[in-house]
Order: sequence, then C-alpha cells, then structure tokens
Amino acid sequence: MTKLEAKDIVKYFKHDSHKLKALGGVNLKVEDGEFVCLVGPSGCGKSTFLRIVAGLEIPDEGQILFDGKPVTTTGPERIMVFQEGALFPWLKVQDNVEFGLKMAGIPKEERAQISKRYLDMMQLTKFADSYTYQLSTGMKQRVAIARALVMDPDVLLMDEPFAALDAQTRDLLLVEMQLIWEKTKKTILFVTHNVAEAAVLGTHVAVFSNRPSKIKKLMPVNYKRPRLAEDESLLPFQQEILSELRPEVKKS
Amino acid sequence: MKKNIFLKKIAFYIIIVVVWQLFSISNIWPNNIFPSPYEVGEDLVFSAADGSLFFGIGTSILRLLVGLVIAIGGGVVLGIFMARVEIVNQTIGSLVLGLQSIPSVAWVPLAILWFGLTDAGIIFVTAIGAIFAVTINTYTGVKNINPHFVEAARNMGAKGTQLVTSVLIPAAFPYMISGFKQGWAFAWRGVIGAELLFSFLGLGFLLNVGRQLNDVSQVIAIMLIIMIIGVVIDGVIFKRLEDKVMSRWGLR
Repeated sequence: MTKLEAKDIVKYFKHDSHKLKALGGVNLKVEDGEFVCLVGPSGCGKSTFLRIVAGLEIPDEGQILFDGKPVTTTGPERIMVFQEGALFPWLKVQDNVEFGLKMAGIPKEERAQISKRYLDMMQLTKFADSYTYQLSTGMKQRVAIARALVMDPDVLLMDEPFAALDAQTRDLLLVEMQLIWEKTKKTILFVTHNVAEAAVLGTHVAVFSNRPSKIKKLMPVNYKRPRLAEDESLLPFQQEILSELRPEVKKS
Repeated sequence: MKKNIFLKKIAFYIIIVVVWQLFSISNIWPNNIFPSPYEVGEDLVFSAADGSLFFGIGTSILRLLVGLVIAIGGGVVLGIFMARVEIVNQTIGSLVLGLQSIPSVAWVPLAILWFGLTDAGIIFVTAIGAIFAVTINTYTGVKNINPHFVEAARNMGAKGTQLVTSVLIPAAFPYMISGFKQGWAFAWRGVIGAELLFSFLGLGFLLNVGRQLNDVSQVIAIMLIIMIIGVVIDGVIFKRLEDKVMSRWGLR
C-alpha cells in the first residue's frame, strides 16, 4: 500500500528579490514500511522536501499525499526528528519524551507507561530524570527518536539525525535504527549526506539531482540485515550511489 | 577561594566604617550634617525598636511586589503578542520603546492626578516603571527561540495557548529572567521615588521625614536599608534564579 506520495513538488527559495528554484518537480512513492534514504548534493533541497512532507513548509506547486489524502499541515502521523534533536532543555528526558502525549491530553500515569516502553527501547531508562544539558550528543539523539516514536506515527521523518555524532556512536545507532525499524514497522524517510549511512539503513536510496532537484534515481538496497557500517559487501553498492551522486555534486 | 573573597569584602566595609568614624570625630563638618556611623546605627536601632522601620520596609516591599506582579504579567503578555503578531509589533512596539525612555518618577504627577495620594498611585508608578523592560526582554526572548522548538512542538500537536505555555514561555525564559531583573530594579527605584513625592508611608516617606526634621542620620540610615534590600533581592533571589535557569537551559 502506498503510504506517501510526492507529486511534482516544486519549491522556490526566496532571498530578498530573487527566487531560486530548489525543488524542480520531485516525484516519489513510498510504500508502507519502507525505509527510504534521501541523498543528494548539499543545498539540493532534500531537507526542504522532508519539511514539506512534514507539513512544516508548503510547496509552491504539487502536493504530498498521505494515505491518498493531500497533506496541508503538520500532523502527529508524520513526525520529524531534527538534526540537533530540538529537545526542550527545560524538561527532563522523560517529560521530553512524553511531550506529544501531554499535548494530546493523555493522563499522567498512562503517559508514564507509554514513555517507559520507549525509554527502555532506546536504553534511556536511567537518564529519565536527567536534563538534556547533562546528555551527550548521542544520548540526545536517542531521546529525540524516543520522543518521535512515542507519538506512534505512521511515518518517521529524519533530517540528518546522526550528522553531529562521533563515528562510534553513529555506528551503534545505525544498528539500533535497523532494529527499531524492524520492530516498529514504521515508514521512514531519512535524509543524509552520508552514502554509507544510506546503504546501511535503507530499503531504498533516492538520489537527488542538483538544483532544481528531482529524484534522479530510486535504488533498492538488496542486502540482508542487520547491516554494519564496516560491511565490505556494501561497498559496491555505495560506489553505485556515488557514481549517481558525483556528477550532481560537480554541477552544484 | 570563595571564603577569601568574602573576607576581603568584610575588610573593605570595616575600613569604610572606620574612615567614616575618623572623619566624623575630626569635626571637619558639624555633626548634624555629617553624623558618625554610630549615630546612624543608633537611629536604625531606635526606628527598629519602635517598629516604624519595619512598617516602612513592609509597606515599600508590598507595593513593590504588587507593582512587579502587574508589570511581569502585563509585560509577558504584551511581549509575546509583539513577538508573534507582526501588526502588534509595528504599532504598539514602537510606542513601548518610546514609553520605556520615560523615567518612572516622571509618571508621578499623572499618577497623583489619576489616583490621588493613594497606594494605587504608587503601585501604578512602580508597575509602569517596570513593565516595558519586561515587555522588551520577553519580546527578544520569543524572537530568539530556536525555530525547531516551535516546529517540533507543532508537529507533536501543540497549538494555541498550549504552545504559548508549554513552549514559548519556557523557551524564552532565560531572556524573561533578565527582563524581570531589570524590571525589579526599575520598580524599586520607582517605588522609592514615588513614596518620596507622594509622601505617603514607606521607606521613601521616611527619607522625606528625615529631611524635614533635618535628621541626616535617619536619611543615611534609610538609604542604607534601601541599598541592603536591593543587594539582597538582586544577589540572592535573582542571581540564584538566573544561575539555575542558565545551567538547566544549557546556556552556561
């Protein structure tokens, strides 16, 4: 079943008086439960595309269909995980994770039950009472992911969530992310500039062209899981992505 | 280290009192113009003993608190509206900047005409002296909120007053604290200035009585009390609050 469909998405960046066509008609179909990694040259608008799917920005042309219905605004069925997590520093970890539940008016005891499950899943239980400034960057990203999963969204939208992490932490989270995906069956759109990350995580990799961007190629990833970042068997596929990407990077 | 600084401070104040005492016994100026620290201390003890000092302190602090609560309530609401509603900023915003440049004692004649020689008049002067500092700092705070906080919150279903109370206010709180701190300082000046001119109870009134009775030691004694209250509120209440907020928000 098609979960998400992008139809001819066009978006201009407006700087003062001149307009720059960032997205030049993006088409993408994502089936339920797919894990699609979006790669592309920097500034190609892949993050903007993600924000449009989240309903945080409105496209100039085209539309996003979620379960066949047009997306007009942001909603809890499409939850975004931001690059730096965007955790609320005034709340404890547990309260951060429960934020969406609280907004939905779910009573305290019930919130605690739900958040406990995801705090366990992300190995955050002993940090439940910490404030975010006490956490490492990797821990913060775990909280951000837990906070998104608590909403039980159909679609998880992840905007370079591992970009700021050190290599060891990232490798660990790459494995965990696959387990979470297998366990929760979420549909995931994952923006990254890291080809290895895309190859490890995705069921598909969508390569964006340079501006005005379109999806140049949608490549299925046919390797068995769990995949590791250092898997040499993934190298040929990484090369394949790079050979699509390289000419676009040169153009930019 | 901390103890060392404390000792230096103590030594400094002892030296001041000793020098002061030396000046007063040298009889350069007559005693009724330049009283000794002993006489000032005596005056404090007398006015404490007959209760007039504590009544004065209590009256001034009560007016300060009521004025400050009004200023904080009004200033926060106004500041949020200015930051979130462009038309409010363009219109009322410019007026706020203008009004902030009026010293609070300049409101006294108007307050006397509107409210008479009453508590309400003094509280009006206190509140209006503080409100614009709170407004401007709240405005700046809300304007400087990481936009991802607001987007994440909206994405998780926060809207309307929920968004204001659970994200905008806590996210802007570090700035708002500076506003409260500035506001309190303006309010304290406002309340003493107004009491002086209204001549209706409070520490400012006691200053005035001292002047009318040619009692220099009472004037100096009350000034010391005004200073001590200022130091205590600033250094104990606001400093602690600020330190706590800054570290929790990860800003220090």
